[in-house]
Amino acid sequence: MRSPTRQTLATTCKDNVMAQGDPIIQAKDIIIKFSLRGRTLTAIRGASLELYEGETLAIVGESGSGKSVLTKSFIGMLDQNGWIDSGTVSFEGRDLARLRSERDWLAIRGKKISMVFQDPMTALNPLKTIGSQIREVFELHHGMSGKTADHAVIEMLERVGIDNPHERHRQYPHEFSGGMRQRVVIAIAVACKPRVLICDEPTTALDVTIQAQILALIKALQRDLGFTTVYITHDLGVVANVADRVAVMYAGQIVETGTAEEVFYDSRHPYTWALLSSLPQQGIKGQLLYSISGTPPNLFNTITGDAFAPRNPKALRIDFVRQPPMFEISPTHRAATWLLDSRAPAIDPPPAILGMRAKLGGAKLGGGVL
Amino acid sequence: MNGAEREVLLELRDLEVGFKTKHGIFRAVKGVNFSIYRGETFGLVGESGSGKTSIGRAIVRINDVSSGSILYKGRKISGPISRDLDLEVVRTIQMIFQDPMASLNERAKVDYIVSEGLYNIGVKRTEAERLALVEKALLEVGLLPEFASRFPHEFSGGQRQRIGIARALIMEPELVIADEPISALDVSIRAQVLNLLATIQKAKGLTYLFIAHDLSVVRFITDRIAVINKGELVELAETEELFRHPLHPYTRALISAIPQPDPRAERIKVVTVYDPACHDYAVDTPSWVDVGAGHFVLANASELARYKEEMSSSA
Amino acid sequence: MMRDRLLAGAMSPDAIRCAVDSGSGAEDELSLFEPAEFDPNAGERGGYSNYSYWRSTFRVFLKNRVAFGFLVLLVALLAFTFIQPMLPGQRNPTKIHIDPATGMQFRNVPPGKEFWFGTNTIGQDLWSRIWSGTRTSLEIGLLVGIAEMLIGISFGAMWGYVRRLDAVVTEIYNVINNIPTTIILMLLAYIMRPSFKTMVIAMCATGWLGLARFVRNQIVIIRDREYNLASRCLGTPTRRIIMKNLLPYLVSVIMLQTALSIPGTIGWEVFLTYIGLGLPVSIPSLGNLVNEGRQIMMSPELRYQLVFPTIVLSLITISFYVLGNAFSDASDPRNHV
Repeated sequence: MRSPTRQTLATTCKDNVMAQGDPIIQAKDIIIKFSLRGRTLTAIRGASLELYEGETLAIVGESGSGKSVLTKSFIGMLDQNGWIDSGTVSFEGRDLARLRSERDWLAIRGKKISMVFQDPMTALNPLKTIGSQIREVFELHHGMSGKTADHAVIEMLERVGIDNPHERHRQYPHEFSGGMRQRVVIAIAVACKPRVLICDEPTTALDVTIQAQILALIKALQRDLGFTTVYITHDLGVVANVADRVAVMYAGQIVETGTAEEVFYDSRHPYTWALLSSLPQQGIKGQLLYSISGTPPNLFNTITGDAFAPRNPKALRIDFVRQPPMFEISPTHRAATWLLDSRAPAIDPPPAILGMRAKLGGAKLGGGVL
Repeated sequence: MNGAEREVLLELRDLEVGFKTKHGIFRAVKGVNFSIYRGETFGLVGESGSGKTSIGRAIVRINDVSSGSILYKGRKISGPISRDLDLEVVRTIQMIFQDPMASLNERAKVDYIVSEGLYNIGVKRTEAERLALVEKALLEVGLLPEFASRFPHEFSGGQRQRIGIARALIMEPELVIADEPISALDVSIRAQVLNLLATIQKAKGLTYLFIAHDLSVVRFITDRIAVINKGELVELAETEELFRHPLHPYTRALISAIPQPDPRAERIKVVTVYDPACHDYAVDTPSWVDVGAGHFVLANASELARYKEEMSSSA
Repeated sequence: MMRDRLLAGAMSPDAIRCAVDSGSGAEDELSLFEPAEFDPNAGERGGYSNYSYWRSTFRVFLKNRVAFGFLVLLVALLAFTFIQPMLPGQRNPTKIHIDPATGMQFRNVPPGKEFWFGTNTIGQDLWSRIWSGTRTSLEIGLLVGIAEMLIGISFGAMWGYVRRLDAVVTEIYNVINNIPTTIILMLLAYIMRPSFKTMVIAMCATGWLGLARFVRNQIVIIRDREYNLASRCLGTPTRRIIMKNLLPYLVSVIMLQTALSIPGTIGWEVFLTYIGLGLPVSIPSLGNLVNEGRQIMMSPELRYQLVFPTIVLSLITISFYVLGNAFSDASDPRNHV
């Protein structure tokens, strides 16, 4: 059985025009480096990503994959010791990778591209009431003041589901529970009606029941206010819940992108296989879980070939030699693995992945005959 | 499953753990009762603030017990005990902590960290013997012996957690309390650590108290599960029984909210919300009731009748 | 042959890389698509980071050029202070110099070739007096600093870690702390009579409490961290938890406090001398010198007797402060980038 795709498109992937139209954010071949203790760390090693209007994109990766770094570069919040070495990020006709001064970023950050962080407690100012913190956004970005601003604040609090907004807007962050605080943070982030909302692990610090509520809230807001959402997470349950498209990152690169259905039911990259198979939901009681041995590579060193190869028991020899290009499986589905090369032997994915494929049925698999 | 023949290793009787705060005593654990049998993996599941960590810490005597007792093999190990018994508790009950970034001493070498407990239980060992034990412990958890001379910051989260596990296992305990051992780890590392725990359990005949908030993980590795909400146990049953017939509304809410890595299933999922007001305990007070086959639930008389009806109709 | 070896799977990934780079041809390329040997241990070695706390601390510290400058200055100053008596042609600091020609004392001679810093009102050589005085003051500062450190740390650690002591000791501390240091120092100096030993004892008696409080606060912050709970769970006794778990974290902050206490001690010594309870006049110290200089400060031509000791005192004080702060910043792991 040979692998289903015959195409080897190393460079023409980005020329594909997606059905939804042109992307609102287009990142091409980004390389981001950090200077750390006298050495240079390459945190992002050539990543390309598109974001389309109105969709929900989930960037999945573990620690060290670079998912937070990549999105921080979209709003100019890279740490002081980091810089974009090369690549472009086009947004509304400008290249965000070229922006240097804070003034340039002020027009974008918080206004057009907004971010929600993981820990609501540190994202809020403990010394100011939540009402005043939301009000700040209206005053700054919409020039509102007085009664108009007050109304806007109350309306926003209602929108995010905080009960009794007329009284609660005078309370301080510590008087709210974790889930409520995250709602406030979301209110601040969407108050200026941004085009893009980036959520960096918004529910990791929350209990499972609250998590479901927060995700539902963000979905509702997206529908009502019409923004595009990017989720950064390592939780595949969250991804399955919210994402239209998924990008999987490993060791500073995007290794697979596709629609949620494609990535979950028909994944092609060995890392995605390992990730999906190692979930406890896939485990059979009494047997060991499928697990990946080892740890992610040290990004201080230059990596030759496929970064995942040392941990992949089914790696090919070329994985240690040359970095795989992005192969196209369908117009919406791409993966960077030599297994998709026409010369590669057919390697069976783990049983859990075969199980997921069976759920999908044979019809959806792109390209040639099985 | 013959419960009567199995040895009860740990028993909690009306355990209460309270903390002094500015506004009086905060009761983190209220009247908890359960037993753990030798060789099983017992899961304790709850959300943050439910008191599950306080129970674990009370067992290893890090937290003080306000009232009630903890018995190990029939002997009381809570409250003031003799030094010999304290030493025996250290030898036989160990703990694996949640955050691998915070649970290792950054200024000590892995060598000292892993063998720290050995210095405390008073067995005379030569330096060579101790090093050999450390290397053996590291190999058992899948780490290389050369790691013994390094510092914790040189390792990843998963490796640090394995160092923490080696530290607990070198003591050769009988009961291991795993307090959310994988919550702070990356998804792909969790499987590694779970496999490691399972393998070691089989090899050494250990008993685990697995504290977690993630029901999907707990379903995979535990034999029995207890669900705790705001300091009180609400339900206790064998794992599959709990998932097949969850009785208490809180358990049902937790189960409905489990995230599934399956887009289609997530789209059609309905999450039920637990509202404590759904119980009317004003007149009819609840108690911890056995509804059969080791399945316990916190219910008053009217709820109990309802649950029994549900169980018989679905059985 | 290369191809056969590749096919037989006998080559390691590094060897394969070499072979490919040397251009073994398209045929061999096809063989690259064979499965590779899997070494499970290769994955374990991947994440190694060579961060060393102390190395990073020193690197950040040395990058601070102002601090480095002061370090050089202070080391030179200290070295000279102790080398000075061994240099040729140095005079005895307490000897009163008499002009052989006139038989009169060389009083208030301005700085010149004969006496580099001049002489004081009774004919003693100021140059040697200043260096001798600096030696004495530094000795006091160091002795007191070290004694404070030892007493303060032991006490503070117990106070911070053992919960039962905390409430009681905090109350005692609050009482003692409210008694002005000045009064205690003056009382002790008065009772024990001014001398080198008196100064050291008096200042130790008042100085250790501040460090103890500081150490206690730091320990309260870290005592309930998970790694300390883990040590308790393993049965580690309190003594070893303090020595191996808590104090190593506090080394940098303790060093800062000690570095700052040295100029503080010298300052107190100057003050006590100023009010007449310092070292006897026969032992030169910075305090004595400043005091003597102050008395004749109003005559412009004699001002050099105040200016020189003040400059030396200022240099020492400023150096310790700058170095202490720079080291404290450098030892904060958040600055290790």
